[in-house]
Amino acid sequence: MSYKPLDPLLHSQLRLAVMSLLVSVEQADFVYIKEETGATAGNLSVQIDKLSTAGYIEVAKSFEGKKPKTTCKITTQGIDAFEAYVKNIQQYLKP
Amino acid sequence: MEEKDISPQESLALINDMIGKARKRYTDNSIFFLMWGWIVMSASLAHYVILEYTSFDKPYIGWLLTVPGFIASMLIGAKRSRKAIVRSYTDSVYAWLWITLGLSIFVMVFHGEKLGWHIVPLTMLMASVGTVVSGAMMKFKPLQIGGALFFGFSIFAFQVNESQQMLLMAISVLTGYLIPGYVMKKKALKNEL
Repeated sequence: MSYKPLDPLLHSQLRLAVMSLLVSVEQADFVYIKEETGATAGNLSVQIDKLSTAGYIEVAKSFEGKKPKTTCKITTQGIDAFEAYVKNIQQYLKP
Repeated sequence: MEEKDISPQESLALINDMIGKARKRYTDNSIFFLMWGWIVMSASLAHYVILEYTSFDKPYIGWLLTVPGFIASMLIGAKRSRKAIVRSYTDSVYAWLWITLGLSIFVMVFHGEKLGWHIVPLTMLMASVGTVVSGAMMKFKPLQIGGALFFGFSIFAFQVNESQQMLLMAISVLTGYLIPGYVMKKKALKNEL
């Protein structure tokens, strides 16, 4: 049996954590994702950019008073990719 | 957490962990239950006292409090939504549930005559829907019980006169909004929600 390759964009610890959080909520702030993943702001920012460039998430930047606010939301393409990843990963886990 | 490759087992564990973290988070909505609990309790008791003990011809005067209450709810809701660092799907469903129920109640109030003036029991039925569904979304038993009591009291309210309806309304907001609201607030302060 040949294994289907895993999406390299999702098969990475931090990006997968971000996608798993976003698949469960309607939208989340950068601060929330940083808190829950325990990642550094710089690294998280890079990984969010990669997911956004791939069309897996939408990133909106705004201001809350004088503070910048970055809100992330998973796209339909992102949900499809996440579901395909979960399905594919199961084949590796079968005894 | 870093940007590194992981094994399929680690992947699955990570997905479970993150989804669990996101699902655990519930918003403390006690402010709305407490505010509406006190507004409705004051208005219904004032209505009862005016009807029973005075000759004032506008016993419903206290219900005017619901107008600033509605505006305050919308403003608080909008502010919290702007400030929230995460918005779950239940937060949105919750907001729309109460906005539509609130507007439906206002529509009923302005068509009282056509409804045979059964506004109080019908409002209690609407509140029962909102409270039971909110309780189910949050898996919060006190709200579900309070909502069921709203439903039960509304059946009695159809059978009694206007001033007795006001007493039933006051009791049902005590059990449906105020008690669950204070329990929710206490749990939120202890981070148990």
